[in-house]
Amino acid sequence: MWWNSVLLALLLTSAAHASPGKDPMPSVMWQFYQQKMLGDKPFVFDDKVVLQAPPFAEDSRQVPIQVDARAYAGQVEKIIAWAELNPIPRIFSFEPGPQVQPLLAIRIRVEQATPIRAAVLTKDGVWHVGSAWVEAAGGGCTAPSVVRAQEGWEERLGQIHAARFIHGNDSRLRLRVDHPMDNGMVGGVPEFYLDQAQLRDEQGQVLANIELFPAVAENPVISLEVQGHDQARLWLRDNSGNEFEGEF
Amino acid sequence: MKLTGLTHSTLCLAITLASLSAVAGVTDQDISDSGKRNDQIVVNGLNQAGQRYSTLDTLNTSNVKELRPVWALSFGGEKQRGQQAQPMIKDGVMYVTASYSRVFAADARTGKKLWQYDARLPDGIMPCCDVINRGVALYGDLVIFGTLDAKLVALNKDTGKVVWKKTVADYKAGYSISAAPLIAKGKLITGVAGGEFGVVGKIEAYDPSNGELLWTRPTVEGNMGYVYKDGKAVENGISGGAPGKTWPGDLWKTGGAAPWLGGFYDPTTDSLLFGTGNPSPWNSHLRPGDNLFSSSRLALNPEDGSIKWHFQTTPHDGWDFDGVNELVSFDYQDGGKTIKAAATADRNGFFYVLDRTNGKFIRGFPFVDKITWAKGLDKDGRPIYDDAHRPGEPGAEKKGTSVFVAPSFLGGKNWMPMAYSQDTGLFYVPSNEWGMDMWNEGVTYKKGAAYLGAGFTIKPLNEDYIGVLRAIDPKTGKEVWRYKNYAPLWGGVLATKGNLVFTGNPEGYLMAFDAKTGEKLYQFNTGSGVIASPVTWEMDGEQYVTVLSGWGGAVPLWGGEVAKRIKDLDQGGMIWTFKLPKELVAKH
Repeated sequence: MWWNSVLLALLLTSAAHASPGKDPMPSVMWQFYQQKMLGDKPFVFDDKVVLQAPPFAEDSRQVPIQVDARAYAGQVEKIIAWAELNPIPRIFSFEPGPQVQPLLAIRIRVEQATPIRAAVLTKDGVWHVGSAWVEAAGGGCTAPSVVRAQEGWEERLGQIHAARFIHGNDSRLRLRVDHPMDNGMVGGVPEFYLDQAQLRDEQGQVLANIELFPAVAENPVISLEVQGHDQARLWLRDNSGNEFEGEF
Repeated sequence: MKLTGLTHSTLCLAITLASLSAVAGVTDQDISDSGKRNDQIVVNGLNQAGQRYSTLDTLNTSNVKELRPVWALSFGGEKQRGQQAQPMIKDGVMYVTASYSRVFAADARTGKKLWQYDARLPDGIMPCCDVINRGVALYGDLVIFGTLDAKLVALNKDTGKVVWKKTVADYKAGYSISAAPLIAKGKLITGVAGGEFGVVGKIEAYDPSNGELLWTRPTVEGNMGYVYKDGKAVENGISGGAPGKTWPGDLWKTGGAAPWLGGFYDPTTDSLLFGTGNPSPWNSHLRPGDNLFSSSRLALNPEDGSIKWHFQTTPHDGWDFDGVNELVSFDYQDGGKTIKAAATADRNGFFYVLDRTNGKFIRGFPFVDKITWAKGLDKDGRPIYDDAHRPGEPGAEKKGTSVFVAPSFLGGKNWMPMAYSQDTGLFYVPSNEWGMDMWNEGVTYKKGAAYLGAGFTIKPLNEDYIGVLRAIDPKTGKEVWRYKNYAPLWGGVLATKGNLVFTGNPEGYLMAFDAKTGEKLYQFNTGSGVIASPVTWEMDGEQYVTVLSGWGGAVPLWGGEVAKRIKDLDQGGMIWTFKLPKELVAKH
């Protein structure tokens, strides 16, 4: 039993040592999300987790954000992101393997002006929280899908537009997949969205796991950074069981 | 899947957690015992023979009037269309399908919805006859069903999340699936619908654990069957031996014969028993010959899908007597000998008793009051046609001669399954009395377009009723009793050891009859038409009855003059569950 106590002591110590600092956002929801998303693990507000977002959402249905935790490269277990005032707040949960940078760019929907958060769990068990504020006219989550209004959308379902951009020793992989990402909030249209993705190498080994939520914009655009220039594929699956794959 | 440096995969973790929390799912033993166990319903048809017979007798003719509704659950949304599923019950959870390829799991005690799955359907689906579905198959931890865009979807029974999904056929060519899939000897078996679009019917087996295709058997003569070994297709013989024997030219390439109603597995002969639908197109002058294996009953080897025997009820079908009707196995005594028989009440108006070991005709007789297209059946069960009642060939004209035919193409009996009582030895057949004016037109095949070459208008034969629930003795052809219904009957039947027969009507009533006399003993209005199959089971020492309510199906779409009788019926979408409370059992 002695090691249990040691572990407990260690946890208590690290919690006691981590002072979260002041929330950079004027948030009314922080405590709620802290408990819901981070549990009882220690956390710090940390500007080394760079969360980029436009100051104003010109199109509330397509708001680009980028989470960059390369300051903690090699130490990151998981990155989660959410929009605090969205009806469906969660955006993604990302587990980069050793060859993948702790960086992810994606487009999301926002229902109203909101703080966006990205929490990075490092191997020492601490959450590092990056924040950004997006102003918005609103309605991005409850407006009818543009994709679905288009004739023959199901013909294009799962079409993938993927490209690789070389950045020195790294490659930036960018992919768009045609999908309505219905979040179930528009009357008579059931939930239909991509909920799983995996970056895989040529042999099918998993390089990174991504869980997606319907706060992600329709026709999702996802960018990742990997070390080297080897072939890679992004596999995607929606909640209806359809599977898609894009090659870089 | 190997993970490179990740602590875990969220995907794998989710699946592990789900399987840990699960109570053991449906086993092969559960399926074999389906005729004996009353605490669960794990097969379509209540037992493997498809008899829709329950050995429960707590609820019986003396106390059925005390049957009480205990809960109802709405399918919700704007999608109130025909509801035709038979519920399944396992470990206190009810699994049903609803219109537009939806699946619901509900607590069988309270009706609390546990999860819902909505298939995302493309705009271009082509169901011929409403957006209905007839139920799920249960196996292991999976709830499996077919969709209107011709896919099989396997859901986790506890979460409703998709485990796997497979495309069975191309919905853009007119294929769809509305029947409940079947589990037989550890395989998942499905047919397809699409006989109005010139598809090639087929029966296929899949591995239920991952959706891998195991074999495929086309139901139109001339098409090659395959078995799959290590992902490779191996030829397994052409259906019927060769093309062109009973079809002219290359019409076998668009011959229909869709096994759209699913089938049963008979362990006593180790056979899959399936019905096949109409040949395409409807205009029979375009396809001289018997057009095998349309409007037939087939026995298939479950191992590789090869056809053991066939019995064709309407060779060269010219009336859309789409003889897909269920083939129900039953045994009877004849001069001290046990006869392994199977019975089917065909769309064409004849009731057939076959030897299910070899498909030989034992006897047949009309089960409707009026049949004009045939003068009777010969000694092999082949119809003796009355050529005056086959719609004429159009020739150079736009339309051929119109003729009056009874029954109508919606059939003496359509999809709605009959029940067989092991106590009375009678079949309880939901049937309809109607005829049609029908004529032929020219038509050519075009992918995804209706391929009929015929026009029609349906007419009731009687002022005061169309539907007739009949008690029929399969040994004599005698009708023991009948119950007449104003609107056409479109729901399945249930028989119980309590001397009861249950069915529903489009007017909205769940009804119970005395199985021996036909006296109506109970009815309850569910608020919308009942066109589904009732079930009964036992839970916590009480007997329950469940039926879906929700008007729709083929009748309102194709109804002709019949439409007048049903124009005031409203749509719905509910599960209704009833029970006989314990204290009321003792009272009687």
